[in-house]
This record gives sequence, C-alpha cells and structure tokens, in this order.
Amino acid sequence: MYLSRQWRLLPKAGIARSLSSSGAHYTTAAPAEDSPIEIPNRIERSPTDLLQALAATVGRDHTAPHYKYHDDPFLIPMSNAAKRTYALSKESGRKAAKWIKEEHRELFMHQEAQPAIEKFAPSMVYTEDSQVEESSLRQLIAQGELKDAVLVYNLLEQKGTVISPELKQSLLELVCFHNNQEPLPEEYIEERWFMQNNRRRERSGKTWKDGDLAEKLYSEIEPKTPQSYASLIRGMAKYLQCERAYALLQEAGEKQIQLDTNTFNSIIQIVNFLKDTAEQRWQLCTELLQEMSQQKLRPNLGTLNAVLQCISTFGNFKLARTAALQVLPEFKKLDVSPSLGTYYYLLIIFCRERGPVSHVIVDILNDIAGKEFKVQHPKDTYFFATAMDVCRNHLHDKALAKKVDELLHTGKNYDLIGDSFKESIYYRNYLALLCQTESIDDFMQTYDLLVPNIYIPEPGIMEEILRAIEINGGVEHVPRIWSDMVVFDHTHRESLLLCVLRILVDNKPNPESPAQQQLPEQGAKVALDMYEKVEDSIRRLRKVSFTGQMLGDILTLLVRGGNYEKATEVLSHIDKNQHRIPGTPAESALQEFVEASVQEKSPSQALVALQYAVENNIDSRTLAKRIHEGFTLNEAHLSKLKSLVGESFLDK
Amino acid sequence: MANPPHFIGHRKSWNSWNTSTLKDALRPSQTAIEDVFIRKFVTGTWHALVCSEIIIKRQHNTIRIAALIRQAITPRKMYFLIGYTEELLSYWMQCPVTLELQTVGDRKDVVFKYI
Repeated sequence: MYLSRQWRLLPKAGIARSLSSSGAHYTTAAPAEDSPIEIPNRIERSPTDLLQALAATVGRDHTAPHYKYHDDPFLIPMSNAAKRTYALSKESGRKAAKWIKEEHRELFMHQEAQPAIEKFAPSMVYTEDSQVEESSLRQLIAQGELKDAVLVYNLLEQKGTVISPELKQSLLELVCFHNNQEPLPEEYIEERWFMQNNRRRERSGKTWKDGDLAEKLYSEIEPKTPQSYASLIRGMAKYLQCERAYALLQEAGEKQIQLDTNTFNSIIQIVNFLKDTAEQRWQLCTELLQEMSQQKLRPNLGTLNAVLQCISTFGNFKLARTAALQVLPEFKKLDVSPSLGTYYYLLIIFCRERGPVSHVIVDILNDIAGKEFKVQHPKDTYFFATAMDVCRNHLHDKALAKKVDELLHTGKNYDLIGDSFKESIYYRNYLALLCQTESIDDFMQTYDLLVPNIYIPEPGIMEEILRAIEINGGVEHVPRIWSDMVVFDHTHRESLLLCVLRILVDNKPNPESPAQQQLPEQGAKVALDMYEKVEDSIRRLRKVSFTGQMLGDILTLLVRGGNYEKATEVLSHIDKNQHRIPGTPAESALQEFVEASVQEKSPSQALVALQYAVENNIDSRTLAKRIHEGFTLNEAHLSKLKSLVGESFLDK
Repeated sequence: MANPPHFIGHRKSWNSWNTSTLKDALRPSQTAIEDVFIRKFVTGTWHALVCSEIIIKRQHNTIRIAALIRQAITPRKMYFLIGYTEELLSYWMQCPVTLELQTVGDRKDVVFKYI
C-alpha cells in the first residue's frame, strides 16, 4: 500500500522509462517455468557514457547564469558586454598561466601523474640548433603543431635529411589545411564563442599564400600523387585561390589522375567565384558532377551541401528553385541523408526577401521534428538562426517559431546553435516575433524564462517589447521592464525613455484592478529614477538631454504617485532651464500639477506653474481659473495672478 | 576563527578536506605540502583580497579551493585572476583545480568576534 502510494506521486513517464529501460518487468507472479532466461548482449560503453546519461537528466537552469560564470552576485554578468568581458577575462587569465608555464619551463618539469599528462608539461621548444629527426616531425604533424612542424621541416632540409614522401604529404596536408598560419588553439573556447563576424572575414576574398611553403612542398613531391593534388586543390579552394584551384583540377583531369569526392566538393563550393551568371554557374556545377560520375565517385553530404551553396548564390530565383528541386531527389536516390546545413541552404534558396512567400520550412520541420543532430558540415550551425529569421521576417508565424525552438531543445541540438552572435540573432528574432504575436502575459512568461541569463535584449528589441506592452495595455509590466533596462544599461537611449514614459502616462492606472494598485507609486519611482539617471548622465560622456515632453511626463508621474515634493523640484528645474530644454511639457502635465498643488495647499508652486505656462505660450486660462477657484489667495498671490493673466480674466 | 584546536570538528571545521591521512592512504606528506603551496599562492595572487581561511577540498582527482574575497577590484579583474589561478595551479598539481569564491563587500563583514 505504502509503495503504491509513493509510485503514484512519481511522474508516469518516469516509471515507464525506468521499467522499460531495465528490460525486466516487475511482477509478483512467479515466472512461467518454460521461458528460458535470455541474457541480453553486452552493450559497448565508452568511459563517459555514464556521465553523459547523468548529464542528460539535467537541462539548462534558467534561473542561474551559465556555469562558466562564478556563482556570486558580484560576479554574475548583467549585460551583454559584461558577459563577453567576464568570459574572455577568465580565458585571458588561462592564457597568462600558460605563458608563465612556457616562460619558466624549468619549474614545471615535474610529473605527478602516471602515465604523464602531456598537456600539463611545457611544450617542447625547437630552435635553429635543436637536434631533430624525422620522427619528431612525424610527431609534431600528428599533434597538429603547425609552426613547430614547419620549423623542424626546415631544419631537416638544412641538414639534408631525406624525408619520406608520405611524411611530406602529411605535412603538405597540414600546411594546406591551415594555410601556413597558426590556428587559434582549440582549448580557447570562449574566444571562439565570442569571435564576431568571422563570416564576413571568410567571404572577404583570397587569403591563400601564393608561392608559399605549400606550393614548394607540392613541387617537391615527385611523381605527383592524387593525394598531393587533392590537398593542394582543397587548400586553395578553402582560402579562395579559386582560379588556380580550378586549373589544378583540370590539370589533374588531363593527366588522368583519380581525385576523390571531397576535392570535387571543394571546387563546387567555389563555383560562384569562377563564373559570374547563374546559368554559367549551374552549367559548371553540372559539368563537375558529371565528371564525378564518370570517375565513379560517390557523392556525399559535402557534395549535396556544396551544390546547394552554389545554387543559393543564384540571383535568378526561378532557376535556383528548379535547380534545388532537381538536386534533392537525386541525392535522396543516392541515399545521402541531409544535415542541418542542407536545410539552411534550402531556407536561403527558397525564402528570399524579394521572392514569393515559401512554406518550405513547414515541410522541413515536419521532416526533422524530434530528431537529434550531430555536426556534420560547417554550415550546420547556421540553421537555427536562419530558421528563426524565416519564422519572423518571412512567414511571421508563431507556431512555427515554437516548433523551431522545440527542435533546438531536443537532445543535444543546442550544441548546434553556433556562437554567441548566432545565438543572440536567434533569440532576438524569437522574442521579437513572440512579442508581436502573443498576448502580453504569455509573452512575459517566455521573457522571464530567457531574460537575463540566456539572452539579454538589445535596445531595439526592448523597444519592440515596450511597443507590444503599449498596444496590449500591459502597463503593469513596465516597472519590471524598467528595472531590467537599468540593469542592462539601456537608460541612455532617448527613444526608450520616451517610450516608457509615454506608456506610463497614457495608461492611467485603474485603482480597482489588483494588478495596478501599486502602479502609481511604482510609476513615480520609475520617473524619479529616470530623472536622476538623466541628470547623472549630463556629467558623463554619454549624454541624454531632457526634453520638455520628457520632463512633463516625469512631472505627471510624480504627481500621480503622490511624490509632490520631488514634483516641485522637477518643476523648478523646468522653470530654471527653460532656454536649454527643447520643447515644453504637455498642458495636461501642468494641469495635474496645479491640481496637486491645490490638494497640497501650496499656491506659490501653482503660480510658478502658471507663470511658466504664460511665458511659454501654453494655454493658461484653465490653469488660472483652477488656481483662482481652488485657493483662497492672499494679496500678494492675487496680484501676481493678475499680473500674469490680466485683471479682465478674474472679473468674469 | 578564534577556536582552539580541540574544537576542530566540533565548533570549527577543517581547512583541508582530503583522505590522505586515513590508514594506508596515499601521499599524506605531499598533500600537506601542496596545500601549503596552494594557500601561499592564492593569498599572494589575490593580494590583500582574501578575507578568510582558504579551504581546500580534494575529491577524486579534483581540487576545489574556496575562500572569501573582498570586492576591491572589478569583476573583470577577478575573472582574470580566477582563470589564472585555476590554470596555473592545475599545471602545478597536474589535476583539475576549481575556485569556488564568494565575495564580501567589506573586510569587516567577516569579523564575527573581537578578542
């Protein structure tokens, strides 16, 4: 009885899983005697499988910052800039430690672990006069140490050591892969994550080093092997030395050298640099594919993506569409299963800004919903940001966006989000779409989930959110958004400040609704906070200047919130700096202030407001009337009133 | 904390947590010396910032180091020091090292009793 009650409390799915995964059925009845016990085959596990299974049970904690940040209020980043600096600072500290290790290598020669862990020891230093052998070159190439490998190779050359062709080939491959440039070390993940605009740099044009080590190595390899051709062609294609790469491919074809699929892929990828018009590109592309089939090369995923990349560069929308629709079934027949990169290309082929609306993403999502992907192609990481962009800008469809988000959070698909830049594009589009299409309360739930630990809205998105709040009349959310804006450092954007004030002033709180009971005081707090922030910013570099409208709104909010004392201060600020502040407060703001002065029995403040109104050509008649009726004025005040609006007015 | 040694384990807990002093345990002396090194390294690297004892916990092959740090430098600099300390100590000890810091606004916040 006790047990069954406990079980009911457990989630049902959990029980089902635990029972089925253990492969046995817990029954009290004795098993039938004739059924033999079947021992399942042993499943091969890797050393980290258990850890991964454990890790799969915990998801991302929305309430805590990413675990790379230190869990202490002082050290939790609160803006996009802080997220970036903190993570990079930590990594820079790591780099400094590594530098110390290399610089004082004699101190780090001890070996604690058995077997020794190479990464903890200082790396070998090769100089002009080190004693090197072929084996050290082999080891360096295996470790991918480009700079040292090249140095050792040069030393071996000087000594006249004979280097075997296959070692030369592997050095050639290493040099071609990195274009003889030291790559960013793999352990610096934050630097990769925050590296921006690498896409633009890739596109910028030829970076291949002509006549450099790669070509020298290539010329030394005699007779030329298919591998040497392949590595040089791929290197040139990767670093956009397109003409020569293509020429080499043709040369290899003439010499009847059998190349491999990936080499052809690399050429197909750069077809758009070789030919100018869509028709020519498509022709060259089909020629290359035919050549592959003549050489009996089996196309792979890389070929599919390269062809689609080529198609995506066509300016001619119709040709691009028909070509893509031809290619897809062909590759399906060849049993090439697409990766996320393939879908990325399909999206950019079909969903163009100036093209007709295409619903291809619906079919894609139906196809891949619930699937878990691994990275197979460099462009795989572009899918999610682009898909969300299509959902927002092309189709404007909330349900689709939710599907994309669900796919992103399936299994380990989040690994394919790319880098911080793509992640922020993804969430920017997601939040902008949701705030336009969802009711404000539903939207705020998503907002609470994502902000600030996963995503911090940029000022543009903040404005969209505020606009959504304004349209949906969710004025009770404004104080919360304002405090976020203060934390995210958005308070120097004038348009945002005006937006916040406009919403608070235009939506007069309804004291009967429980959600809005606190609102007048909260509004006054926001206004006061803003007033102080702006005054503060005048002393700083990033200046925001008051406008009359802004001050009028602040005045109104302070009055409504019952902070009369501060309101008079703001009014005297407006009055004193008339010449510096562009524009004037709205008439209603002054009216509300005068009304409050009546309540507070402070005629001199009301007269200041009146004087200001008269001096700035604001309709002062209603104000004067209200002052005259509201107060029993003494002589001095009365004469001032008369001098401001004239005697004739009072006689009526 | 102002507690005489016989209160350790009662009113005050250990500063080093490891199993090297159990019967037949490995590396008792090395562990003690390493802990001294870690304490000196951390107090020196976080110069005039550490406001508490440095607690060193060893589990399997990891070392976790906890301390209270004064908020006297910017978080950015703190992150630099965190990365630096973790990495350098892991080169030295040849195992993963994690810093688990808490920050306090003022040195006086950690004074509980004047003697």
